[in-house]
Amino acid sequence: MKAKISALMDGEFDEHELSDSLSALARDDEALHCWRIYHLIGDAMHDCCVVSKDFNTRLAERLAGEPTVLAPARAASRWERGRWLSLAAAAGVAAVSLVGWLEYAPRDAVAPAGPAAVTAQASPPAGPVVVPAKTRVPARIPLPSATNDYLLAHQAYSPRITLQGMAPYVRTVSDEAVGGANR
Amino acid sequence: MSRRLAWKVLAPTFFVLVAGAGGPAQAQSSPEALDWLRKIYQATQDLSYTGTFVYQQGGHSETSRITRLADPHGNIEKLEVLDGVPREILRTDDAVRCYLPNSQTVKVDRRPGRRSFPAVLRGEISDLAANYTVTQGESRRIAGYECQAIVLTPKDNLRYGYRLWADAKTGMLLKALTFDDKGETVEQFTFTELTIGHVTRDKVKPWPTTRSWHVEDTDVKPANLEQQGWIIEANLPGFRKIVEVRTLHKSLPMEQVVYSDGLAAVSVFIEPVGQRDKPVQTGLANVGAINIFTREVANHLITVVGEAPATSVQRIAEAVKYVSPAEPRQSVSNPQSR
Repeated sequence: MKAKISALMDGEFDEHELSDSLSALARDDEALHCWRIYHLIGDAMHDCCVVSKDFNTRLAERLAGEPTVLAPARAASRWERGRWLSLAAAAGVAAVSLVGWLEYAPRDAVAPAGPAAVTAQASPPAGPVVVPAKTRVPARIPLPSATNDYLLAHQAYSPRITLQGMAPYVRTVSDEAVGGANR
Repeated sequence: MSRRLAWKVLAPTFFVLVAGAGGPAQAQSSPEALDWLRKIYQATQDLSYTGTFVYQQGGHSETSRITRLADPHGNIEKLEVLDGVPREILRTDDAVRCYLPNSQTVKVDRRPGRRSFPAVLRGEISDLAANYTVTQGESRRIAGYECQAIVLTPKDNLRYGYRLWADAKTGMLLKALTFDDKGETVEQFTFTELTIGHVTRDKVKPWPTTRSWHVEDTDVKPANLEQQGWIIEANLPGFRKIVEVRTLHKSLPMEQVVYSDGLAAVSVFIEPVGQRDKPVQTGLANVGAINIFTREVANHLITVVGEAPATSVQRIAEAVKYVSPAEPRQSVSNPQSR
């Protein structure tokens, strides 16, 4: 069975053998344990550290946000090409270590310097601080029936009104729009 | 050349390390742009004008007429919605009246002390620079006026950004656009026609009401929510508590706390559950740049209304807590301790 698991992990089975082995894994607790141990050994051999949940997805997203260096194309000497490669490697290592650092940076601090740095990198020379959202995705609901009362009370204190006059009061909605379909 | 290239490649990385060590590096607000904001505030207080503007949000647009009379005996400002269901809002120094002809209702919002409010804010323009980078943009012609653009770029994603266009001569605001952290437009106001000055008192007359109209009046008094057991630990950088009041609306109590960063405001409303006619749903709704988040805490309905991104409004809503006070007051007579 152990030889089979090893072959399964290496992707050496055809479709028929594959389904047999998978159902064997589902039935046999010991085989399943063996499957997990083999993966752990494989990860250890490949130097995979234990990372946080969804690490791969987030790493891919952040790398996608990295700036593309735009420079006019020109004939480069072999020496320069080699230098480019090492520079690119250095930048890559820096980016990866930055991502890694962010991954383990404390998340509870509000507006930490770390995320600011990420945005700065994405749009140099400066960008807004990205404060990590700790909130759940809320349900979308129609406007509350008292929306106009809230808006009147709220806008009375909005500094926006002193900048723009009462135009923002136009957000006050018609009776029909309240408590029914969202506008 | 290769040295320059090396710098180009490494500069962003170096910048990140420096920024990471020394805090977020931000572009500076320009003093000229801040002066422009002062000029806009001043124009909003001083000018008489009448004009037509279009309000656009989420694929909808609506045309309205606005008329303002600046008068030493009392300013009057009138807003008439021209598209769809008629609505009219009239603002005097002591109250805002919202006329809804279809339901023959006039909602009256009286706030003593509001008159002094704008004066306080004028001094706070330089505070704005703590939360926004204020810069001058390109000039552009809008509704026949040569306008200067002023851009308020937020320093974090807790607030929206604003692009304002003001008449180069008077400072009158001709266009205001709100944008989100992706740079997308959330809502905008644009004058299509405007006349500065020449406003007479008959142009700002209120909507003619009859005896059959229903008047909803409000009574507003200062309040202290903490004494009543309400704690709002909204740790939202840049937003300060500016006012705390209790409103009696249709003889029902409603507590209100307002936070502001100098431009955007977020209000927290607290009222006992069940005092509204219709059953209440909890979650998020919006009107243009205003997000409204509703939840329930200790038998009370918490409604947070703010001209801020949904996540900011939600964060403030989720920071509302109730702890049983030493001497419970009437408005919180039936809360469940958490």
